[in-house]
Amino acid sequence: MENALKECFSRAQEAEVTLEFDIPEKDFNNAGKGSSEVKNLLKRLGVESDILRRIAVASYEAEINVAAHSKGGKMMSLIYDDMIHIKFEDMGPGIGDIAQAMIPGYSTADDLVRELGFGAGLGLPNIQRNSDALHISSEAGESTLVEFLIFFT
Amino acid sequence: MSDINYFHAIQILEDNCTGCTACVRVCPTEAIRVRDGKATIDTNRCVDCGNCVAVCKFHAIIPSSDPLDIIHKFKYKIAIISSSFFGQFTEDISYGVAKQAVLELGFDEVAEEAMVTEFMIGMIRDYIRANRDKRPTLSSNCPAVVRLIQVQYPALLPNLFHQEAPMSILTRFLRDKVAQREKLSESEIGIFLIVPCVAHVTAVHQPEGAYKHLQDGAFSTGMIYGKVREIVKKIQNDPKDIDTYPQGLTWALSGVQADLVDCEDIRALSVNGVENVMDILSKVEDHYLDQYDYIVLRSCTNGCVGGCLNVENPFVAMSRIKKMIKEGESKDINVDELEALYAKGDFAVVPLTPRPIMELDKDIKHAIKKMKRINEFLTMLPGLNCSACGSPTCYALAEDIVQGKATIDDCVILLKRQNKDDDED
Repeated sequence: MENALKECFSRAQEAEVTLEFDIPEKDFNNAGKGSSEVKNLLKRLGVESDILRRIAVASYEAEINVAAHSKGGKMMSLIYDDMIHIKFEDMGPGIGDIAQAMIPGYSTADDLVRELGFGAGLGLPNIQRNSDALHISSEAGESTLVEFLIFFT
Repeated sequence: MSDINYFHAIQILEDNCTGCTACVRVCPTEAIRVRDGKATIDTNRCVDCGNCVAVCKFHAIIPSSDPLDIIHKFKYKIAIISSSFFGQFTEDISYGVAKQAVLELGFDEVAEEAMVTEFMIGMIRDYIRANRDKRPTLSSNCPAVVRLIQVQYPALLPNLFHQEAPMSILTRFLRDKVAQREKLSESEIGIFLIVPCVAHVTAVHQPEGAYKHLQDGAFSTGMIYGKVREIVKKIQNDPKDIDTYPQGLTWALSGVQADLVDCEDIRALSVNGVENVMDILSKVEDHYLDQYDYIVLRSCTNGCVGGCLNVENPFVAMSRIKKMIKEGESKDINVDELEALYAKGDFAVVPLTPRPIMELDKDIKHAIKKMKRINEFLTMLPGLNCSACGSPTCYALAEDIVQGKATIDDCVILLKRQNKDDDED
C-alpha cells in the first residue's frame, strides 16, 4: 500500500465527526443499524449517491461479519471532509487465514448464520471491491481489526 | 434547496389546527412543523403520502381535489376509475352498478384502470428483461413512492420503472381514439381520474416525468361517494349491461400484483405501508435485495385500497376485490394498439431527477460544521422525542436550530427544568 494511503488510516486526531456503535454477538435483529445510521448521516452531509452506496455496502457487510463470526465488537466511523474511515474491532476468535478469507465463496459461517441468509463467503471480497483501501489485522485466537477508507471524490 | 414550487393536494385549515403535533409525528419525511401553534408543511419535503390527512382529528389537514362541475368545460367527458374504487361498496351493490353510477354523474364514457392490468403486467416483464443491469426494477405507479425516492433515495432513481402508470396510459390512448371517433379536437375532450389518495391528485396536477399534459382533473373517491350511492339506489333494480374487468382489479392490491409479475425468470417482492417501503428502499440501497428483479412498492396499507380518500377499511376492501376477481369474468380487450404504442416508446417517461432535501449544506465543509453544531445541541436536549416543540424529534429540533428555523427555547422540557431551577434559587 502506498504511504500516502497508509497515513490516511492514522488521521483519527483530525476526524470531524465520529460515530460509535456496539455490535453484539449473533444479534441479527440489530445488525445493519450501525451502517444505516452512518448512511443517514452521510446523506445529510451531501455525499454523492454512488459513493454513498459503496460505503453502505462495505459497512453493512463488515457489520454483519462482526455479528456473524465474532464474539461481538464495535464499529467506529471517522468522518472527514474528504473521506470516511470505518473501523470494526471485535473480541475474537480471529481470522485463521486472511488470504483464504478474501477468496469469494470461502466461508466459515455456522448453520445458524446460514439459516438467516448470510455466510455466502462474499463479505470481505465485497468490502474490498467497494473500498479505496482495506486493512485487516488478525491472528487465530486473537481479536480482528477490519478497517477501510472510502474517499468522497 | 430547489426553486420549483411544489404543488400538494393537501390544505391546512389554520382555524381548525390545535397544534397537537399528531401530524408532525407521522410524517415519513419530517416535512411538518408546528410553529406558533399551527402546523406548516415544507413543500419541498412533502411526498403526498397522506399520513397527516389520515391522522388529523380536527379536520385541519384536508385533501383537496377538483370540484365535479369542472367536467362541464368539456364537450366529451371521460372518467377513468382507480381499481380500488370497486372495493368501497357493500356486497349487494354490484361492480357493474357502481360503474354505471359513475357514468351517470355526467360523463359520456367510463374507463377503468383494470382494463390495462394484463397489458401492464406484460409491459413490466418486458421492461425488467430489457433492464437487468439496473435490477431490481422498482414499481413507479404509486406517486408517493416516486416522490419519496426523489427526496430520500436518489441513488435508486435509475431503478424506477420508467414507463407511464396504467391510468396515464389509458388517458393517452383514449384521447387519440375518442378524438378520431367523435371527430373532436383533443382539447374538447376532458379526461378525469377517480382516485383513492392525495398523491394521485398531486400527480394529475404536477406529474413527474410526463412528456405532455395528461389528465384534466382528479376527483377523490370520498368526494363523489355520496352522489354515487344516491344514483346506485335509483338504478340498482334496473341495471344496464355494462362491461367489467374483475381480473384486472388486482392492480389495487400490492401483493396480488407482484404475484402476477412473478414468473420463471422474474422474482418479485411486494411491500406496502410507507414505513415498510422506507425500510426496503434502504436495503435496496445497500444492495441487500439484489436477488429480486421487481419490487412493488405502495405507500398505503395493502396498496391503493388503503388510500386515505377511500371510505372503506383497506382489509375489507381487499377482501371484496378478491371476491370479485374470483367470481367475475372479464370482458376481452384487444391490446394490439397499446402494444404498438409501447413498441414505439410512447409510454416512456422523462428520466426522473432527484429532489434532495437531506443535505445540511451544498458545501461539505459547511455541512460538517453544521453537523457538529447539531451534535452539540443534541447533547443539551432531553432526548424524549416528545414533539412538544413542534419538531418531530430532538434531532430534528437540533437541525432546525442550526438551520435558523427554531431556537433552543422551543424545547418545553428544558424550559420547565429552567423554571424549576429558577424557583429553587
